[in-house]
Amino acid sequence: MLNHAEASEKFITNQERTDWHDDTLWFVRSKRDKASKLLPEWEALREQASQIKEHMLSNLPQYLLEFEAKAQANGIQVHWAKDAHEHNEIVYSIIQKHGDKALVKSKSMLTEECHLNAYLEQKGIDVVDTDLGERIVQFRKEVPSHIVLPAIHLKKEDVGETFHQHLGTPKGNKDPQFLTEAARIHLREKFLGAKVAITGVNFAVAETGEFVVCTNEGNADMGAHLSDVHIACMGIEKIIPKRQDLGVFLRLLARSATGQLITTYSSHFAKPRAGQEMHIVLVDNGRSRQLARDEFRNSLKCIRCAACFNTCPVYRRSGGHSYHQPVAGPIGSILAPNFDKKANVDLPFASTLCGSCSNVCPVKINIHEQLWFWRQDLMKEGLAPAGKVLGMKLMAWMMSNPSVFRLAGGIGRKVMSWFPFLVNNGMNPWFKQREMPAPPKQSFQEWYKSNRS
Amino acid sequence: MSSREEIIRALQEVKVPDKAYPGAFTAQVVGVDTLTDFLHSMVVVSTTVIQVKEAADASQALDKHFPNMQRVRLNPLADGLSLADIDVLEIDGDFAVAENGAIWLDDSNLPHRVAPFICQHLVIYVSQKNLLPTLQEAYIRLGDKQTGFGVFLSGPSKTADIEQSLVIGAHGARSLVVVLTEC
Repeated sequence: MLNHAEASEKFITNQERTDWHDDTLWFVRSKRDKASKLLPEWEALREQASQIKEHMLSNLPQYLLEFEAKAQANGIQVHWAKDAHEHNEIVYSIIQKHGDKALVKSKSMLTEECHLNAYLEQKGIDVVDTDLGERIVQFRKEVPSHIVLPAIHLKKEDVGETFHQHLGTPKGNKDPQFLTEAARIHLREKFLGAKVAITGVNFAVAETGEFVVCTNEGNADMGAHLSDVHIACMGIEKIIPKRQDLGVFLRLLARSATGQLITTYSSHFAKPRAGQEMHIVLVDNGRSRQLARDEFRNSLKCIRCAACFNTCPVYRRSGGHSYHQPVAGPIGSILAPNFDKKANVDLPFASTLCGSCSNVCPVKINIHEQLWFWRQDLMKEGLAPAGKVLGMKLMAWMMSNPSVFRLAGGIGRKVMSWFPFLVNNGMNPWFKQREMPAPPKQSFQEWYKSNRS
Repeated sequence: MSSREEIIRALQEVKVPDKAYPGAFTAQVVGVDTLTDFLHSMVVVSTTVIQVKEAADASQALDKHFPNMQRVRLNPLADGLSLADIDVLEIDGDFAVAENGAIWLDDSNLPHRVAPFICQHLVIYVSQKNLLPTLQEAYIRLGDKQTGFGVFLSGPSKTADIEQSLVIGAHGARSLVVVLTEC
């Protein structure tokens, strides 16, 4: 597997595409700014959302039990899964009971985290992703590159070609309106025939036992309301205490995500339809471990809006796949080491620590600080690459010895002016895509001595 | 030990400093003019508004808007599949939110839960008296109303998943008309 820097290097080989990706996501970020500035109470809303989530995290087991009791009273069957494997087994056992070989699924980052599709396909189940962007990447045997805009790494030409291969649309047709209509017709057929539907969960309300699913396309509702069995999968941190809290989170979610006022559909599921079965799978999969980490606990406040992706100068120029995780971007980089430190050691370093992610986060997660905390944690555990460890040690030694520091600075300035080719070449990572700065004639210390002494 | 007990025990063992619930959101800035805000939101979410005195007054305008299409109002149905061929479905909305154009529909308004999603075009009747400034007021209005299913619906279904080009009419209704009555 390529690490973040290697995968990014591949991503940016096509300059025009990289620029398009960068500009498009920045445009989404600008829409977020516009939508948030329409509300004078925006900052108060963020603070409220943050406090509600922190309160929830300090009372999580109570709220989960309250939610379970209310949901069961509403006629929903509640399941608990310690990890991804158990989650997949539970979902499969429900499907098996109904003897169906196909199902429709709307967007759920949790099922991506658990690799549910691959698990079910191995069991011979045909999983149809129904979000347009997810269907596109599913046809291409790829994974989403963005949690809100799954196919943002693709151009319409790519989608046209994919649909030509899988849906028989005319070759060369790349009109988004036409392609969306083709997907509508294709997926309607799937909706009308599916007995089982899987959805994610945006918010689950402890007070009422209901859960809310937000989409623009209406795919979650088409699936859930036409199926005999609705399975909703959620991480345990999706609980909120009261129904009135939805008034806070739904005002923040779409504005932060895409700059919309609200998603087209904010659907509240409380009871199964007459004759329908409704299941909820509550999944831990490392969340209780993250809850116990003081520095990283509040990463669990995340509502998956992806505002931090859209604003991130690294994400915009490296693409979602470079993070090799279901949740990419800055938030993904602080969640991933909790799952596997060794496999994700590169991610906390995939950031400039500029802090823009924390500034746009609707629930005020200190993302950039947590990236920095993870760097320290991973270095301490000896997981950083040997070159980086050696470099840091050398740097620390030099910085703590003033005479060595002065000497090294002097040598550096001379080398840069006498033998510029020694630094201006491909071996020096700082030289890639950049001009090296002109070396200063003297150090600050030398300048100070001659001017102020 | 079941997974449920294991998860609950693991969570209980984590000592998280207690953070108080902040209470209801109070820093509310109420919109200047609810009707103007609502009409503006309708434009943003690509929805046509027909303003009339009474619901019956809208029929001419609707005939013009949906020429040669059958418009239906339905009683509760057991089977949602039969709705797939409906051109234009008309339903009553409970109340609407000015700041985002969201209209509340629930089991008591819907012939079937899938109705507002599966029909090709949707018409929702809302009274001007039932416009609320923000989503916060909407949840206060909703209170603890028990309903099996409810949805805040804002505009026709849409997607921008292909190169960020906005396309109206993804899986749900292709268009939405809101009939805003005075009474």
